[in-house]
Amino acid sequence: MDAPMDWGTFFLVFLACAATMLVCRVVPLFVLKGKNLPAGLEEALGFIPPAAFAALVANDLVSPGMFDAGLWPAAAPLVAAVVVAVVAVKTKSLLWCGVSGVAAYGLLTLI
Amino acid sequence: MLGYVAIGIPCGILCDSIGLNALQVFLLSALFYSGAGQFMIPNMWLAGSPVASIIASVSLVNTRQMLYSAAFAPACKGAKKRLSFLFAATVTDESYGVNVQKFSEGGWSVGKATMVNLLSQSSWALSNVVGVLVGSALGIPLAIAAFAMTSIFICLMVTQKLSAANLVAMGVAFAGVYACKAAGLAGPAILVGAVLGVVAAIAFTWARRRG
Repeated sequence: MDAPMDWGTFFLVFLACAATMLVCRVVPLFVLKGKNLPAGLEEALGFIPPAAFAALVANDLVSPGMFDAGLWPAAAPLVAAVVVAVVAVKTKSLLWCGVSGVAAYGLLTLI
Repeated sequence: MLGYVAIGIPCGILCDSIGLNALQVFLLSALFYSGAGQFMIPNMWLAGSPVASIIASVSLVNTRQMLYSAAFAPACKGAKKRLSFLFAATVTDESYGVNVQKFSEGGWSVGKATMVNLLSQSSWALSNVVGVLVGSALGIPLAIAAFAMTSIFICLMVTQKLSAANLVAMGVAFAGVYACKAAGLAGPAILVGAVLGVVAAIAFTWARRRG
């Protein structure tokens, strides 16, 4: 396991992330005063969530050589991911996705 | 509120696993206050990402809040500046949905909307701290707790609008992460993949409009 995050690193990450977050949350509301964002910018910003969440999912699920140790150990999280995707479409609930994901993954690793 | 508790506890457990204590997790939850962001930090740290890459990736994901902020600008027109600030600073993905609906139904005020935000924020911060305390006491296997995080990212991805351009963004980002890992660039893989996805989607819409 990697080294734990020390206080200095924590503060750097915390302050930087909190600062960009505050700017993104507050500035548009005060600058726009009821007008809309430029259409091009609004469209580009809209692409960030799908791209970012897909990148995060890919990072957790796939890596080169993942099947080297046999099919099953690497396929278990993929199967669990499909279960979560179905639950997500049906319920749109983060809560149920978290619960079903942990349950499915836990059961599949027992097999 | 129940949703915040169920997601906050695993988030606290993961933060505990990278050595953050209850005070640090409380600061993150109260002042940074972002579910996706707070899952990303331990996730990327465990994946061995450099600190600059973590900050850049989390900030990139933060920019979606600009859309929410812009959407609330008309509703806050007549409200006091300080209240508008407090309201804007505590908007999240979930409370955005609740408040947009209430504002459109009418009879809703910035003050009431801020109360919704503050209640959500308190339950989020408390459940995160509980997660840290429980995490250090129980020693839940990290692989299983970490899958709660993966599940949340899957849910956030699948519930995006599945337009053609968004699917291009997702596909290219997914492939980009894999390609980065194959090239031995596991650290910045998430950031590079996400940026490639956004660029591809912009290029796609641009090409479609011309074509």
